Parts: sequence; structure tokens; C-alpha cells
Amino acid sequence: MIENIVERGIKVATKLGVGEVEVYAIRRIGTDIVGTTRGIERLSSGERIDVGVRVVIGKKVSVQGGMISRAEDLDSIVETAVKIARTLPEDPLWVSLPKGLGKSHVEETLDPKIVEPNTDYFIDVVQLLLKRSSEIDRRAFTSSASVHLSTVERAIGNSYGEIQREDSTEFSVFVSVKATEAGEESGYYEAYVAPTLTRFNPDEIVSKATEVAVKTLGARRVDTGDYELVFIPKVFAGVIQSLIVPAVCADSVQKGRSPLKDKIGRQVLSENLTIVDDGTYPGLMGTRSFDDEGVPTKRKVVFDRGVLNGFLYDTYTALVEGKSSTGNAFRNVPYSTPTPWISNLLVEPGSGDLSDLVKDVKKGVVVYATIGEWLSNPVSGLLNATITNGMYIESGEERFPVKGVVLSGNVYEVLKPVEVRVSGSLERFGRFSLPAIYIPRITLAGK
Amino acid sequence: MIDVDTAHWVLEETLKRGAEHAIVRLQERIYETVVYDTGILRSYTVSRVIGLGVRAVIKGGTGYTYTTSMDRESILKAVDKAIALTKVASQYGKKSFTPTAPVKDRYRVEFKIDPHAVEPKLKVDLVKEVNTSSIKREGIVSAVTRLGLERDRRVIVTSEGTVVEVDVVGVGLAHMAVAKYGAVIERVGDRESYIGGYEHIEKRDWNAFAEEIDKLAIKASQSKTPPPGTYVAVVDNEVVGLLLHEAFGHASEGDGVVAGASILKNRIGEKVTSELITIVDAGLVEGGYPVPYDDEGVQKGKTIVVDKGVLKGYLTSRDTSQELNLKPTGNARAQDISFDTLVRQTNYYAEPGEWKVEELFEGVSHGIYLRGRGAMGGQVNPSVGTFTFSIGPSYIIRNGEPVELVRGVVVSGNILETLKEVDAVANDLKITTSVFGGCGKGGQTVRVGDGGPHIRTRKIVVGGG
Repeated sequence: MIENIVERGIKVATKLGVGEVEVYAIRRIGTDIVGTTRGIERLSSGERIDVGVRVVIGKKVSVQGGMISRAEDLDSIVETAVKIARTLPEDPLWVSLPKGLGKSHVEETLDPKIVEPNTDYFIDVVQLLLKRSSEIDRRAFTSSASVHLSTVERAIGNSYGEIQREDSTEFSVFVSVKATEAGEESGYYEAYVAPTLTRFNPDEIVSKATEVAVKTLGARRVDTGDYELVFIPKVFAGVIQSLIVPAVCADSVQKGRSPLKDKIGRQVLSENLTIVDDGTYPGLMGTRSFDDEGVPTKRKVVFDRGVLNGFLYDTYTALVEGKSSTGNAFRNVPYSTPTPWISNLLVEPGSGDLSDLVKDVKKGVVVYATIGEWLSNPVSGLLNATITNGMYIESGEERFPVKGVVLSGNVYEVLKPVEVRVSGSLERFGRFSLPAIYIPRITLAGK
Repeated sequence: MIDVDTAHWVLEETLKRGAEHAIVRLQERIYETVVYDTGILRSYTVSRVIGLGVRAVIKGGTGYTYTTSMDRESILKAVDKAIALTKVASQYGKKSFTPTAPVKDRYRVEFKIDPHAVEPKLKVDLVKEVNTSSIKREGIVSAVTRLGLERDRRVIVTSEGTVVEVDVVGVGLAHMAVAKYGAVIERVGDRESYIGGYEHIEKRDWNAFAEEIDKLAIKASQSKTPPPGTYVAVVDNEVVGLLLHEAFGHASEGDGVVAGASILKNRIGEKVTSELITIVDAGLVEGGYPVPYDDEGVQKGKTIVVDKGVLKGYLTSRDTSQELNLKPTGNARAQDISFDTLVRQTNYYAEPGEWKVEELFEGVSHGIYLRGRGAMGGQVNPSVGTFTFSIGPSYIIRNGEPVELVRGVVVSGNILETLKEVDAVANDLKITTSVFGGCGKGGQTVRVGDGGPHIRTRKIVVGGG
């Protein structure tokens, strides 16, 4: 039982005389099925237990941990944590670990079909993804398809509260479709990433991937200059995640690494953009009843019609400002120091669908995929991404496919004009639920 | 627990249960980091990855399982699961592995001072000193300094009799400074890593290292972004490393080639770059990350991928080599035991040419000098053929001289075009690695080395501003 690990860790640390202790344990059982042009390539599965221990002595804080292979490993992690903590300098900003751990109500976080998987069904899914693309269009074939299933058990406790436990599942499916014709090559991938199979439709994802791969065959560069752009929801999510998310996390703000410092109450984005962080929203990857410190998740509006409403906090950054955590503590692994990050990010819908945004474009590009957007600079707000799959649009009509073009601009200038519009239809993708977006002007570097 | 005897026992149990072929991997990796953020110790963490993975093959089906629980019962459960998965897999796909002659070897990185045995206080004091000195510099508003210390021990045994032990120790320091000038905030980060013990940390003047980064951040915050468009570019060692890794390295990985996803498929013998370019992937090279054997126990020698512009081969694992009718090149690597291997690069670089670095600038009336310090990394889509990377503050070249600093530089290009445009290769080979990151693929990160000499290319797309 994973709670027993947490309980044992807290006991051992308390006996060693620490002021505060927190133990976080995650058990993950995963299965992967990978297929390529050669058919089903590989089945794999496994189980890992990762544990993190945070101990506080005075204002000296130490976080240690790793994978554990037997119960005694935990004791030695706690001992190391205490030993190191004693040698560290104090953190003058330290107040305390979170008090009042608890849970919010959440839905669609666990799927029995993943807990007890029927391997044959998921193999069939991969096989369908492998063969369907070339049936849809003879210029296309699936270069790889994969299914990943995990069951995740999380338990956390500290000196102040009851141990919290939550079980959830993760399901991700990827399909990469390649298209070739007359020496031209193109490719596109689609994915379904969610805690459950609720909205999973393998036919739909392979069809979408095939459609874009084929229609972007023969792509070329456009001339360097200013264009209108439409981002499909997946591309828009990448831009938000790379530039806006780091800037609204309280640690960046406090350390002078956010361009949004001192901007609360100011119009930062277009009035057509309302952005909400909500860890209780059903069925997204960030949906969970408590964050990585055991604090209950909740809904908060981050940008209200473009006006910056507030930042995202974990306990440490909140207490520095005399505030409460917003339930946004995030840890990459249980043994990393928590930092604020999004739970789920929701962009409120506008009206119409993708084609309604495209039909008003006079001269622009609809962008289906980029690479390198995650290399943009959230400190300066400078957006940079390279289009791999796009369509050039003139007077609302698709003219030719585009690739190899770099789009650049300051995200707070690009997303601020009143002409920015979003679609009414939303797509779910990992931790995001969001519309497509129209941007009136951005610079493209091409020919 | 991480020893050859345990590995042999697991191998035996796997073969007893009907596996025709098996690979057992054991690993223990300790990673220690000390992070100071703007004058405050943000974390001091020692983490450990430990466990074992088993790959079994029965009738062309492959199954892999791993466990972090190292008691007898959990291990046997993992073995049973591997066999069960393998039997299921054998009903679907058929895969075969190029046989390799058994190897018995031990590779150890020599070091004078065990980095994990050094008093924590010494490490904390070092990082504190570098970080607090940095934030005192005028113009610097924020700085993060990170010490990274790593030891990675792997044991690999195979049913063909291979027994390989690899033990790598590495250390490094990373520093990122944020400077503010008027309304502009800019960041520049860099890192320096060494394979070996803590003696490398003691030798280096890290304050001087951080000061250079701080000064560059301050200068960058006062500079403009470059006008977007196509440029003649002189490319420094570090950016050449990124360019080769992203623009060519991934496309030469055998798994992508077999799956039909690489633009380099069916091009062996074709001219794919300028004839001035020779690209190799080598397991052991000065400055790089040592990969004497891959995670299938195959020796990683030196693989010539491109010889004077002509594509000679791909990077392969044992199964992709079989499929491509090539020798296994020792490029099957896994982040850790919780993953089976993928085809990955090791130390991927270009051989030096004959030009002096300063000669590359001669005759460039308008161009850009692309600099690696402050580079954030890159990405490629090998099936579309497009790559991109974000690089450090760079210089606009006018009349043969790098004259004006520009920030926010991003470059992009096409795999089959960019390296054909190279018209000069310098003689200054330099390869580096990092204990802070590496190359990501399929959810796994592995340590790599990259680099090369300075080069000049006639055409590259530059975005920014």
C-alpha cells in the first residue's frame, strides 16, 4: 500500500527530530504497445515506485528521493534528507509546508479499461492505426502508432495533515502518418491524450493525420513578410504553454523572470481571450483532486477578457506573499522541489469553427503544426516557431501548402489586438481545452 | 544489487521460461543537484534510479518489462510478465536481431574525487558564491546557478554471452542570467560539463564562467532582434553540433529509416551534403559522453554516416540493422531501465576541414555569425525534413566582420538543403557534452555529445523579432 510508504517516511523523519516533513509516493504501472510499418513491434510493461521526501529543520529545507527498490531504501532517503538539511543554509523566505491537505471533487480521472487492460483490444487499435491511413489515401501510410496505458497511485502526507491518496489512469495514443507523391514527402501526427477512453475514436485521429499529411504534400516557403495566421487548437496550446504559462507562474514573477510582473488588472491580451486554470475540470490530464503538495485543486480565472487577473501559486510562493496556494504545485517527479504550474488550462470559446476563421483571411497561413515553439523565450515574451504543416490562404481559399517558415513576434503584441478571434468549437488535448485562434498580423521569415 | 551475478540469475530464469533470446539490464544512477535561485538555495537533491529490465524474444515476438523492486519475488514476476508479453507479441509481428559475437568488458571513467562524497557544504558554498556574485552585477535582475553531479552504472548481459559493465561519472555547472534594460528583459544561459570527478569542478574558475554569461545577457538586453530572412552564416562549434544533431542526426537513426519516416531513406550512396562534410557518430571521443557499449551490449565504435558528402550508412540497433542489411552500430540506447531501447545518437559531429576560423568571415558582405552560448536547443521533424533551433546572442556580419550583437535568434532549414550549402569548414574541432540535459525522443532523454568545427553556409533561414 502506497500510503504505508508515506506513513513510514513521516514516522522515521519525525523520530530524527525534524521540524516538518512531507512524503510523496507515486506508483505507476504502465503498458506500451508500439507498431510501425513492420507491424506490432513491441509490447512492454513495468512498474515503478518513486518517492520524494521533503524535510525542514528550522528554515533549512531538503528534498531527496528516487525510485525505491525495497522498504529500507525509504529509511535511507529520509536519513540522507535529514543529514543534508542540517548542513544547508537557511531559506529566509521559508514559512511552512502546506496546512490543511484535502481533496476537491473530480470526475473522469480513472478508467477501469486501463486498470485491467484487455491487451488484444489495444493491439487491435494499433493495427487499425497502422493500416487505416493507406486505405483512406493511397499516398499515405502510417510510419508509427503507439498506445500507452498507465495506472497511477499517488499518496502524500506531511506533518500537518491526513495522508491523501488518489488513483487515476492515463491513456495516450499517437499516430504518425507519412505521405509521398512524385518525390515530395510530408508527415503529420495526431494524438489522443486523456485519463480515460471516454472520447477516444481511433478512426477520427488517423483520418485527421492522413488528411493533413496528404494536403501538405509539396509544401514550400512563402516570402518573408507580415501575414494573418490561424492556429489550430493544438498549435495554440503549444504557444500558450511555452510563453504564457511560465509567465503566470508566481516563481517567475517573484524572481523577475516574467514580463507580466506588475501587470495585474491590466489589459495584456485581446478582450476575446479568457483563460482559466482548473484542476477540477473533468477528463483532462491535469484533472486531479489535489496537487503535488496535497493541496485541493480549484478553478481560477487567469485572464478575464484579456485582463490579467492573478498568478498561479504553490505553497512556498504563496506564503512569500502572505497568500494561499492556488493548488498549482507541480513536480516532475516526486523528488523534485515543487514549483507552480498549470493544472488544466481552458480558453473560453468564441463563435463559429475553424473554417469560419479561415474564410475571413485575406492573405495568411493556417498552421497545423510547428516545431521549436517550446524554444520560445518566456522571459522576453518572444515567440519563435517553425511551421512544418501549414496552408497558404488567399481571400479565404486554401492555395498551397507551406513549410520551413519561421514565425516570430512578441506574444503580448501578437495576441493583443481586438481583431484576435477564437472559434466556438473546442478541442481537448492533454491538459488543454481550447479553440482555434485567428491572429491579424505576424512576421514570417521564409524566402 | 547492481551486479553481474544478479543479471545472470535473471537471464537464466528468463531462458528457463522459454525465451529464445534475452537481454537483462541493471542500472543504478545517482544524480545530485544544488540549485541557487537569485540568492536563495532552491534545492539540494540527491536522487536515485535503480532497477532492472528484461527483454525476451520468442518466435520473432519481443516483450520488455522492468521493475524497480529488487526482491526475488518482484523480479520473477517481471520475468513472467516479459515472457507473457513476448508470447502475445509473437502472434503479431516478426522481428529478428542481428547476431553479435559475445563481448566481456568493463568500462569505468577514472576520477580522483568522487563527486557524491564531497561535503555538501562545499558544494552549496560554491553555487552560492557564483550565484550571489552574479546578482550583484549591475543590470542582472535574476540568476539561477546549478551544480550537477552524476554517476550512472549499467550492467548488460545477453543470452549470447555478452557481459558488459559501464560506469560513467560526470560533473558540471550551469548558469542562467536575466538582464533588464529599459522594458526589455533577456536571459542567457550556458553550462559546462566534464566527464570525471569533482576535481574538474575544483579546477575551474566558475565566477569567471558566470561573469561572461552575465555580461552577454546585459549586452543582449540592449540589442535588437535580427531582421528576418535568409542569410549567409558562419556557424560556431556549438551551433554546428546542434545543426548536425537536429538537421541530420535524427534522420540518420535507423528506426525512422525502417519505418519509412526519414527523408534519408533509400539514399545510401547519394550525395546529401557538401563534399566538405564528413559526419561521424563515435562512442568514445574527447569532450563527448562516453558510450563504449549500447544498451544491447553492442560495442559503439566510430560510425561514418557521411563521407565527403556521400551518405554511407545509418545508426542502427540489432533489429534495425537486420532490416537494413547493415552491421549493428551500437546505437540502441535507453534513458533508464523503465524503457526499452530506441536508436539514438551518441557523439555526433563533423570532422574538421582546413580553413582557419577567421578565413570563414572573409568576403561575407552581409551575413550572420551564429553563436552557441545561450542556445536553448532544437527540434526536427524528420518526415517533413524541417528542423529548427534557438541559438544564443549572435552577430550580424558586415564586410567580413562580426559587428552587431542580435538577440532572440532562431534558425530553420531543410535537412537535404542546408548542409549542401556549406562552402567552408574550419580546422577547429570541438565536442562537448552536458550532465544537465541531452536528446529527447519518444519520451526518453539520453546524454549525448555534439560539436564540430566552425563552418560557413550560404543559406539559412533566420527568424527573430
